[in-house]
Amino acid sequence: MKKTILIVLLNFLLINKSYSLIEVDITRGNLDPLPIAVSPLHVDINSERYKDLKIKELGNNISKIIEHNFRSTGLFNPLKKEAFVQKPDIAHLKPRFEDWRLIKAQALVTGKILIKNEKLKVEFRLWDLAAGKEMTALAFTTTPSNWRRVAHIISDKIYERLTGENGYFDTRIIYVAESGPKSQRVKKLAIMDQDGAKTKYLTLGNELVLTPRFNPTNQMVTYMSYFRNMPRVYLLDIETGTQEVVGNFPGMTFAPRFSPDGKKIVMSFAKDGNSDIFTMNLETRVVERITDHSSIDTSPSFSPDGKFIAFNSDRSGLQQIYVMRSDGSGVKRITFGNGIYGTPVWSPRGDLIAFTKMRKGKFYIGVMRTDGTGERLLTENFYQEAPSWSPNGRVIVFYRETKAGLKGEGFSAKLWSIDITGYNERQLKTETDASDPSWSSLLSK
Amino acid sequence: MIFNKNLKNILIVIFTTLLLSACSTAKKSGSSSDDAYTGKETVKYLASGVPDRVFFATNKSSLTTASRATLRKQATFLRKNKKLNVTIEGHADERGTREYNLALGERRANAAKDYLMTYGISGKRISVISYGKEKPVNASSTPLAWSQNRRSVTVKVN
Amino acid sequence: MTRSLIYSLAFHTTMIFLTILSLPFMLREPIDLPPIVSVELIQISDKTNIPYAPKARKIIEETKKKEKERLVSEQAPPTAKAKEKPDKIPLPNEQKEEKKIIKKKQNPEEIKPEIRQSSEFEKKEIVDTNQIAALIDKAKEEEVTKQKKTNKITQSNQKNSFATGLTLSEEDALRAQIFGCWSVPLGLPYDEDLLVRIKLNLKKDGTITKSEILDHQRMNRPGQKFYKVLAESALRAVRLCQPLKVPPTGYDKWKEIQLNFNPTEMLKG
Repeated sequence: MKKTILIVLLNFLLINKSYSLIEVDITRGNLDPLPIAVSPLHVDINSERYKDLKIKELGNNISKIIEHNFRSTGLFNPLKKEAFVQKPDIAHLKPRFEDWRLIKAQALVTGKILIKNEKLKVEFRLWDLAAGKEMTALAFTTTPSNWRRVAHIISDKIYERLTGENGYFDTRIIYVAESGPKSQRVKKLAIMDQDGAKTKYLTLGNELVLTPRFNPTNQMVTYMSYFRNMPRVYLLDIETGTQEVVGNFPGMTFAPRFSPDGKKIVMSFAKDGNSDIFTMNLETRVVERITDHSSIDTSPSFSPDGKFIAFNSDRSGLQQIYVMRSDGSGVKRITFGNGIYGTPVWSPRGDLIAFTKMRKGKFYIGVMRTDGTGERLLTENFYQEAPSWSPNGRVIVFYRETKAGLKGEGFSAKLWSIDITGYNERQLKTETDASDPSWSSLLSK
Repeated sequence: MIFNKNLKNILIVIFTTLLLSACSTAKKSGSSSDDAYTGKETVKYLASGVPDRVFFATNKSSLTTASRATLRKQATFLRKNKKLNVTIEGHADERGTREYNLALGERRANAAKDYLMTYGISGKRISVISYGKEKPVNASSTPLAWSQNRRSVTVKVN
Repeated sequence: MTRSLIYSLAFHTTMIFLTILSLPFMLREPIDLPPIVSVELIQISDKTNIPYAPKARKIIEETKKKEKERLVSEQAPPTAKAKEKPDKIPLPNEQKEEKKIIKKKQNPEEIKPEIRQSSEFEKKEIVDTNQIAALIDKAKEEEVTKQKKTNKITQSNQKNSFATGLTLSEEDALRAQIFGCWSVPLGLPYDEDLLVRIKLNLKKDGTITKSEILDHQRMNRPGQKFYKVLAESALRAVRLCQPLKVPPTGYDKWKEIQLNFNPTEMLKG
């Protein structure tokens, strides 16, 4: 017996003389934002003057916008420029990787711009500093006044290359700009770039305007207005400024949204104490009834494939979220948790529905799978609602109101955004108080 | 004899249990008139003794006894002034989502309108509009303010 | 009779009262515990574990056990005291029992016959240092057994390291180093199969001469952009971490190693 043990032992030792490949499992890393260096874009000396554009500053300004975009995601850490060693023009041709690695950067963005014949020509490169080679490069031409969009387009391309997801920087946000005392708010439609720049007001504030939403395919907006003291859904063309009432309903219409193909508007129509969901085809003007129930049915939202509609109904007693086919059949309740649910919004990726939840005096923004499972609450507050998705389904913008004092003082409304992982909750800068935000799709596609 | 004694014991225990468990307070405030405003602070008058508004409980559009009494007074007033038309404004407090509150305001306004109609006021004389949570009468964020904001207000049109 | 009735009534009432009082506590929501973060205290030892094949190790333990049993009966008093010590030193709970048995095994070996004659106080001290030395060794062994139970992935690891001589401490050192260098791309879908295997050829000083992603073709397939992003982040981590913390000896064993990057655990949390 002892002999066999000895032989077995020997065998084992002998076999292991031939060293098999060592495998080490790496299951943890750090979740720190990726350190990235954004070099100011090099401005070609042959660039011509263009209106009142500060050409010399342009390269620097574009890089600043890119940095701001990256920082706002919480995924990237743009490094301070004071530490940069190479000049923009040389860095764009052949970066000295060791120098850039010294400042602990893992990726480098370089580029150059040229203004000629009233056109802005842009070229940028993304470098992998660890591998010492170029990861992606792109060149494109546009009008010089679009220089901000240039920065956003570059940001999108780099974001896509480094995270695998589509970007969301070349987008706009439409919202309701608010001012005045709480009991007499002045509300105007406003539109701005996603980073808060270029705010433009679309209505004068003479009548209440609420819940504006973008058309995913063009520059049209739908919203609700109390024009002439008749609360109705309107269509607005951002380019021309023309507005028209949607349909000819004998009562209040509200809560409008576009279908994913941009051809229909889905909304609620209230009459005799009952609110139901209707659609109107913008081309044929045909109106269709979708729900027919004595309860309040509102806040409809299409799935990105246009086949389903999520909506808010109190047919079970309190506000809950339901999903039905876009013809109104197959109504299924999907929220069963403790609390009241509202404002369902289907993600453009189709995988999640964002919502507002109210429970024990607190308001939550959350996401859940489209069958109601996997409910995750992202943030809690005294009052917040109306989530809207970024076009890549990664970030949610919503608004918050603060508690008002006994005379209504201290009241404010602001836009906030949060990542679907629950990280990176931040306030969006707006010129005035703001509510009811809606995120556009990518302007360039 | 022993059986009777045991039975007596058991019954006493059961009775005590029921007694004590009955003392536990109900978790939810059930009745629908629970937090409907009953004060006079924000109330205006269509005419002497005719309040212009009725109040509702949270998330409800049902009329309380007080509301019905007020509406009956309004109905009487409208019957006397046959040429008078009114608009009923429905409102909600700020503790709900904006779109749902628009629908809830509309329901509350119609609740008042329907009741007036049962007292013989023609529906043609009454128009309805909802302001959701957009026009609070009390701007603070207290339960009192919210109860004052959950209202249907009858407004003279002509 | 009535007295017992009164007593019974009083107790029943008290019980019912207590139940009603405690009801709100039961209805309260469970407190959300923050996710438990396990912290590994890694020691880089200069001791190298004598590599035993797993089967052989068992046999050696068995023989040692037989020895211990003989010794224990001769030296009953010291071991009785020794039992107290383990409780003071914090140990993983599951291993406590195993510890005690191993404790017994060690002590009989260390305590020399002369000491039995000295005073109790002295004896305790000597036992102390012996135990602590024993503990350091045992702690590592326990980590091995713990890993066996909790981490299936490292099963093969453990076999390999025992077989090839990269001690767990060295492996942990390398792993910890790469943890620090690897920026995990956030937002990767965690329910996908995201395992990146990289084969590295190393020089003696820990620098990389060649790196190869084993599932190279997958990177360029359509719809696998997350895999590509993950693979690139892993490559970056490895390159930026140079020189890697490699053992000072046994170059032949580790001149070629494979790193398996799997962010699933991190992303789930």
